Amino acid sequence: MPASDADALESPLTYENTVLLSLKSISKTYTTGDVSVPVLHHVDLDIYAGEFLVIVGPSGSGKSTLLNIVGGIDVPTEGDVYFHNQNISQFNEQELTQYRRKHVGFVFQFYNLVPTLTARENVIVAADISASPMSADEALELVGLGNRADHFPSQLSGGEQQRVAIARALVKNPELLLCDEPTGALDLSTGRMILEVLANLNRELGKTVVIITHNSAIGHMAQRIVRIGSGTIAETNVNSQPIPASQVTW
Amino acid sequence: MKVLHRKLLRELLAAKGVLAAIISIIAVGIGCFIAMSSTYDNLEYSRENYYRLCHMADFSIELKKVPVGDLATLTEVPGVINILPRIVFQVTASLEAVEKPLSGQAVSLPARENAPINGIVIKQGSYFTDQRQEEVIINDAFARAHQLRPGDHIQLILNNRLQDLLIVGTAISSEFVYLIGPGGLVPEPESYGVFYLKHSYAEDVFGFEGAANQILGQLAPEFQSPNRVREILDQLELNLDDYGVFSTTPLAQQSSHWFLKSEIDGLKVSATILPTIFLIVAALALNLLMSRMAEQQRTVVGTFKALGYSNREMFLHFIQFGLLIGLAGGLFGILIGYSLAGAMTAQYRNFFEFPSLTNQLYPRVIILGLLISVFFSVLGTFRGVRSVVRLSPAEAMRPKPPLRAKRILLEKMHAFWNSLDFRWQLVLRDIFRNRTRTLGGILSATVGAMLLLVTFSMYDSAFALLNFQYDKLLLSDIDISFKDDHDYAAYFESQQITGVDYAEPLFQVGCTLKNGIHEKKVGITGIRGDARLTIPRDTAGNRVEVPLTGILVTRKLADILQIQAGESLEMIPVSGDRTVKQVPVMKIIDSYLGLTVYADFQYLNRLMGEADSLSSVQLKTNPRPAVTRQIYRELKQVPAIQSVNSIRDQKDKLQEVLVDQMIVMIVVVIVFSSLIFFGSILNASLISLSERQQEIATLRVLGYTPSEVGSIFLRESFCVNLPGILLGLPAGYWASKGINIAYDTELFRMPFTIGTMSWVYTVLLGILFTLISHWPVQKAIQNMDWLKALNVKE
Repeated sequence: MPASDADALESPLTYENTVLLSLKSISKTYTTGDVSVPVLHHVDLDIYAGEFLVIVGPSGSGKSTLLNIVGGIDVPTEGDVYFHNQNISQFNEQELTQYRRKHVGFVFQFYNLVPTLTARENVIVAADISASPMSADEALELVGLGNRADHFPSQLSGGEQQRVAIARALVKNPELLLCDEPTGALDLSTGRMILEVLANLNRELGKTVVIITHNSAIGHMAQRIVRIGSGTIAETNVNSQPIPASQVTW
Repeated sequence: MKVLHRKLLRELLAAKGVLAAIISIIAVGIGCFIAMSSTYDNLEYSRENYYRLCHMADFSIELKKVPVGDLATLTEVPGVINILPRIVFQVTASLEAVEKPLSGQAVSLPARENAPINGIVIKQGSYFTDQRQEEVIINDAFARAHQLRPGDHIQLILNNRLQDLLIVGTAISSEFVYLIGPGGLVPEPESYGVFYLKHSYAEDVFGFEGAANQILGQLAPEFQSPNRVREILDQLELNLDDYGVFSTTPLAQQSSHWFLKSEIDGLKVSATILPTIFLIVAALALNLLMSRMAEQQRTVVGTFKALGYSNREMFLHFIQFGLLIGLAGGLFGILIGYSLAGAMTAQYRNFFEFPSLTNQLYPRVIILGLLISVFFSVLGTFRGVRSVVRLSPAEAMRPKPPLRAKRILLEKMHAFWNSLDFRWQLVLRDIFRNRTRTLGGILSATVGAMLLLVTFSMYDSAFALLNFQYDKLLLSDIDISFKDDHDYAAYFESQQITGVDYAEPLFQVGCTLKNGIHEKKVGITGIRGDARLTIPRDTAGNRVEVPLTGILVTRKLADILQIQAGESLEMIPVSGDRTVKQVPVMKIIDSYLGLTVYADFQYLNRLMGEADSLSSVQLKTNPRPAVTRQIYRELKQVPAIQSVNSIRDQKDKLQEVLVDQMIVMIVVVIVFSSLIFFGSILNASLISLSERQQEIATLRVLGYTPSEVGSIFLRESFCVNLPGILLGLPAGYWASKGINIAYDTELFRMPFTIGTMSWVYTVLLGILFTLISHWPVQKAIQNMDWLKALNVKE
């Protein structure tokens, strides 16, 4: 995709945007046998509808845990998570499943595609359980993979696999796209391509995109950057001049 | 097709090797179930229909002679709804083309219409005609054995007179589904037949005008319980006391019914036990496979759950694996089972004479087979996947926490552990860390070895029975029994027959033996103190001397009568002087056929008020066939003879049936047992292989050859299977013992023995199966893409 300033996100973020998701004093401690490992301490964070947010932190800082709690695939030990003013931290297993099904799309570092399904089928897997999905082919077109729909993951490059994963997240039409190190397993140019796709989805479809990464360079394209360290939020910056994905470098 | 179904099918296809192993175990289990259940139904439905068709008697009473006019009161006994008096005698038959004197039962039937109880089914020719009295209908198996057809003639010695009879038809009857002569175990249609005579002719020829010596009866349905039948028979016996009742036989003890029913009941038990063993092994294998599959798909499970799939949807997805495997195993099982049932049913047609015994497809059995298959498969799958499916999505997407790196117990035995090379250390660690898999493997090997040992032991027992009966107990070549008791002259005459080397008299007395409330009708055999042709023995095979007074009682009878050596029994003869006599039990002996009682020849004669009376003679003869034929020709001329039994023929026939046909069973069990070994080892090894890809890849990088890597897996297989096989030995011993006890009946018992070679063969076969099963594992190691395995992400 050609890189130009026009591809940069529109912000600065205006705080008139509505809060989509709100974390109130979230803590998380993992207990294995006799050992307790605290991962998050009283984290407060608002995520705004339609924003492009990057959460940056070193490995072990608790950012993945934070993302998992936001996505409803893990629950906090303490604190509340409000999604559209509904406290999802009080949800039972079934309600959390419905929450993920309707509102959240996940993109993982290692794509997590089913190796025995083609690109299209991997996308259909998500469309199948959605109430108003877009078509799988449309989703693949949106990530530029319309012509690779019948390929199995083993026949696709890393970048292509990640785009299939994005299409899979997208096909359900979720409000929230949560991306866990989406470029972590990719080289620079492929990584940029993925970031462009995510930026497009944010800009053109208005999806709220949250990326967590240890790579602070990615923060330059975000509207807002949250730095996390040792389980707490160290700082939050609004990026008044997001750069296009094509100019991100690391 | 839904996308998830496609995923399912592709994954099934990818795991086809292991699946084939599991499916084959299931198929064998279900096959056994279908085969045995269908054969059971084939036999049981045929039996029920046949009994209904022939109006099978619920009891029979054998007596000396009773006027038919005196029987009207019998139907007044509550429960008795119908009776039929008839005339039945043991007779000898003679066919021109056959040198051996033949024997059988002459049974009277109404002249015009079929009998209302124990009727016959005509197979060839017709029922009796009005044209002559001397007509006979013979049983079909006898006719087939001698190629007799309606229109042929047969000579029967009836009441000491040779009678020439026209065969008008051949027939079968529900009372002779399994027809055996006195003392026989297997049908010998070429030697023993049934000869149906017109009742009026039988009355005439046996001097039984207006009389009968057997009463058949039917009972109302509510009087069919064993206790009620016994009560009714006791009452009937009391009513008939004046007519010399020899025996009262409820249907349950009627010889043909007993053999048929034992076989049918045995099938029912086998149809439960054998398939259960296979299916448990299959469920265990499936459990291992599915645990592994679910574990490999941890991330997929996590991703799906993150996408919004619920636990239930994930469960259903994985359960479909079990469902499909169960259905596949079930369907193959049905195919195997149906053809096996056909073969088994055909086999039974050789023993059991039915109007029609065909192999049917029973929807109930098929559906049950499929359900059982699916149940065990789903159970195995459920247990395999539940821990992974229950994980939270975040947890499922994290790599599995490393195995608890605890040292295994053996590692604490430093001197021992350090003396092992590292390959043994790898093997032992893997065995002890994967306890479920190890236990599953041990169990499978135990079951496989147990099956082998039980089958070999059955073969040994059958051989020991033959050996005991014909090489130790009964040493004569030909036994002659007389219609009535004779004096010693008959014995001397027998000795004079050309070709007879040696002869011994026997005196048999039918009587009731009583110990308080316990009583049993039996025959006492009087043998001479110096007998060489009938030698009572104990279990160890040692000769037991016949005491000059008192009796020797077989252990089974001693149990029934609750009597011990040194105590006395009351003896009431069924004929002749019927006064009660006291007989001391001198010793308990062992025998495998019937309820044998021995006494000294002279003592028994004295007890019965006779002197040198005898009822049969045993002959040791020159074995040359020409001589035997000459002996038969001479014996045919003696009208007083009731039957001539060739003990040699009897042994050969029994050997053919019992031992030779067991070879087929042994082959089938060996195949089944090999499948258990094969399925279990292949499954466990391939799973272990997939778990340890990186370990194998590392070894290959270090320069290990595929066979060196394979040897690690082979060692592991042996470490699991050898203990399993060894455990199978005691398990097999006790299972054989259990089967032996289950077959301990009044009619026959099997000696319990397991030959040295049976133990050896079991172990050797177990080892052989382990080695053969390793071959595909070795192939998989050779074909493994170990470079790719090195790059697998953790």
